[in-house]
Amino acid sequence: MKKILATLTLGALLLTGFTLAESSATDLSLEKEPSIFSVQEPTQDY
Amino acid sequence: MIEIGSFIKLQRTKQNMTLGELADGIVSVSYLSKIENLKTQASPEITQMLCNRLGIQVDSSEEKAIKEKCKQWYGMLFEVNDKEEITAKYKEIQELMDRNLSENLMMFEIHKIRYYLLMRDTENAINKINELNEISSNFDKEQEYYWYKFRGNYNSITGDFSQALYMYKQSEAKINHLNLDEIELADIQYLLSITNSKLRNTLEAIDYANKALEIYMKHYDFVRCAQCHNILGISYRRIRMYDKAIKNYNLALHLGKLNNNNDLIELTNQNLGHLYSVRGESEKAIKHFLEIINANKSDNRDLLTPLASVISEYYKVENYDEARKYVSYALKLFAKYSEASPYDITPYELCYYIVHTYNYLLNEEYQKFEDLVIKDFLPYLKKRKDFGILVIYSNLLADYYEKQHKYKDATKYYKEANFAYQQITNI
Repeated sequence: MKKILATLTLGALLLTGFTLAESSATDLSLEKEPSIFSVQEPTQDY
Repeated sequence: MIEIGSFIKLQRTKQNMTLGELADGIVSVSYLSKIENLKTQASPEITQMLCNRLGIQVDSSEEKAIKEKCKQWYGMLFEVNDKEEITAKYKEIQELMDRNLSENLMMFEIHKIRYYLLMRDTENAINKINELNEISSNFDKEQEYYWYKFRGNYNSITGDFSQALYMYKQSEAKINHLNLDEIELADIQYLLSITNSKLRNTLEAIDYANKALEIYMKHYDFVRCAQCHNILGISYRRIRMYDKAIKNYNLALHLGKLNNNNDLIELTNQNLGHLYSVRGESEKAIKHFLEIINANKSDNRDLLTPLASVISEYYKVENYDEARKYVSYALKLFAKYSEASPYDITPYELCYYIVHTYNYLLNEEYQKFEDLVIKDFLPYLKKRKDFGILVIYSNLLADYYEKQHKYKDATKYYKEANFAYQQITNI
């Protein structure tokens, strides 16, 4: 019982952290930067 | 003026000729070595004889045509252009370069790095970098600028963003001493904003995106403007300035629609959807992800990212039927592309894990779910230092164990989630 309570308390604490982490998530790869090779630049005269 | 020594060295190595073979009967081996390394200047007669042996014309009758063709080819080195046309032009110039002593050779050789990268041939790109590295100390300022820029491109493509940032910074430092078009400055600022964004240097990403945006606005380059708005959207989202992020994304969407640029519209919808997902507004997030999925009639591999995102959202709001529907769609796409080369499949590895994780959960295949997340998915995220996603999936696993009354395991993964969260707050 003690074990269950300890786990649940830790779970609840971490869930709070998780919710905060979600709102400030900084490192999610499902967010996409544009490509580096996109778009035709005007040609340069070398 | 071209450095003849560097040119001779380049042509000799290309023809697999030794110093002795080229020097034989013309000069001593040590003198040729000095010429190649620019320690001495060869007389016109010696240059002529060496070029004759290499089968190269010394007169400049084709120089104007070479310059013009190079200019056209450099302007073609973007992914919107037809790859076959780029290659045809490349071969045409190469033939000219092989029989002429051209001033444009070195710049052409440097641009080959970019060409190989566009062709997704990273092996030849790094070989070219290594080959040119030996003579790079002889580059003039303009050649140095492109040398650093394209090496940065190589590092960006291969995912080494710290090194890419170093290269682009070197390039940026050179450009101030050159008389290049302003749009070239915008390009290097754009590359710096993307690279800083990849490295989570949010304030620098904002700074460079704004600088590039200012120039692109002056030149009415709306596609690049929209891309800068996307970087600004991502950056403001990361520092939780959501209103500013949404404003930038909406501007990007508007410009994408004005230009009928579907890639741009999809990119912005993905990022907008992600913003709403992070804010816990699943309904809005789903709307943006579905816009991408529904707009694509063909089975495009790029759909895997919005598919993984929408599956995760539907699971979050417990709409399991819809989640199942899109899992099945994503699995069909994975099956179709499973024989693709590793280069093509690597960007979708994350989506693969996400889709399969939910697939096992939805089908109640719990052993497979545990095996995949513990043995493959979490180690993959740790290796990539993808702590945001690591928090989500460690937590998902901990919740699962808690429901199974396996409290020891649950604690272990709550702790992992907490560790990942601490890493995020340190970024």
